[in-house]
Amino acid sequence: MLRFSKKHSYQGVLICVEGIDGSGKSTQIELLHSFLKQKGIDVVLTQWNSSELISKTTKKAKKKNLLSGRTFSLLHAVDFADRLERTIKPALKAGFVVLADRYVYTAFARDVARDVDPEWVRNMYGFAIKPDMTFYFDVSPKDSLERICSNRQPGFYEAGMDMKLSNNPYKSYVLFQNRIVEQYKKMTDEFGLIKIDAMQTIRQKQEFIRKNVSELLNKRGIHIEG
Amino acid sequence: MEIKKNQNGEGLLIVIEGTDGSGKSTQVNLLDEYIKYKGYGVAVSEWKTSRLISGVINDAKERNLLNTTTFSLLYAADYTDRLENEIIPALKAGFVVLMDRYIYTAFVRDSVRGHDINWVKSLYSFAPKPDLVFYLNVPPDILIKRLIAKNGVLDYFESGRDIGLSVDTYNSFEIYQKRCLEEYGKLKKEYGFIELDGTKPKEEIHNIIKAEVDKLL
Repeated sequence: MLRFSKKHSYQGVLICVEGIDGSGKSTQIELLHSFLKQKGIDVVLTQWNSSELISKTTKKAKKKNLLSGRTFSLLHAVDFADRLERTIKPALKAGFVVLADRYVYTAFARDVARDVDPEWVRNMYGFAIKPDMTFYFDVSPKDSLERICSNRQPGFYEAGMDMKLSNNPYKSYVLFQNRIVEQYKKMTDEFGLIKIDAMQTIRQKQEFIRKNVSELLNKRGIHIEG
Repeated sequence: MEIKKNQNGEGLLIVIEGTDGSGKSTQVNLLDEYIKYKGYGVAVSEWKTSRLISGVINDAKERNLLNTTTFSLLYAADYTDRLENEIIPALKAGFVVLMDRYIYTAFVRDSVRGHDINWVKSLYSFAPKPDLVFYLNVPPDILIKRLIAKNGVLDYFESGRDIGLSVDTYNSFEIYQKRCLEEYGKLKKEYGFIELDGTKPKEEIHNIIKAEVDKLL
């Protein structure tokens, strides 16, 4: 049986945040990160697409716009596999709380939005470790666009311009991110993601997250004082 | 999962499989010349040659950086890139495409490295099915002699040293290649490979390949 379909048995705890750009998830996970650190808990934060080995290649390929959805999908999986084995797994073995800013659900949402077969992608990531808790930040593509593009145009890939949905990057962004949000919505049930309304205040969201995380850590024998 | 039949047009997809030192490349070259001589367009595509990705694989190998999952995925990315940019366009244009190794190489190497074969197969489930697959079978003791004669050394990965079978390269090579041959043996039946005795003279092997290819042309 593939590892992703069952509970992990590492000592540490894996917590993820998901959602489209501009949903506020990075702010929230950074707040959670410093909170846990201040409480003296061993915690690491890891980001999507940050392994040095691959990110150069992915960037090069993006610049040339020469990759198909499937090759892209594989390259992201390579990056993830590298990070899983070198960062996430050792930290979980050592009993750390691992916070992941985006996890495999990002790939499931984006790749399928690029017309890659959902079953194929899920199977490919079968080697992934199943998270203990995942928060999904629900935001409408329009609100997301307002947040990220207040001072710039959306990027080629974040607007899904490769999908040729529209020649206008702003329109394309909304259309493409809508497809991604659709996938996230399907996944909240499929994988039991905890949905958070991204339009709440930063403080409200953080309180909700801290409460859920504290309970989870308590169950796993990690107690937060105060 | 079933691999899809080649539906990309009139071209032919012909694969030559076998381990390092089995004489694959020699046979690919001979066949390439033969098909050209017959007046057909030919394209050759070798394993791990995508311009974008093969550099990353070599770099990672040199630094011995990657775990087996990352390697599997990188090879799959390399294959996909070649499939979309070389193989499918050539098939569509009616070329005979000769593959020096194909997805079966990944099936063999990855399952010897402990991956679930079904995971690997599903990774390549979109691959077009070849029209012919030739498999050059050479026993490990002869492979060793050939490779030492050719390169002077046994390759780290071709000896399976990355998975810690033995600290002795010679022993490791024997164990690794035997396991690979076992895996090829399984695939042979499953995918209907045409098995060729790789210890025979190259002309003799080429004649058998020619006869099979002629039937298709």
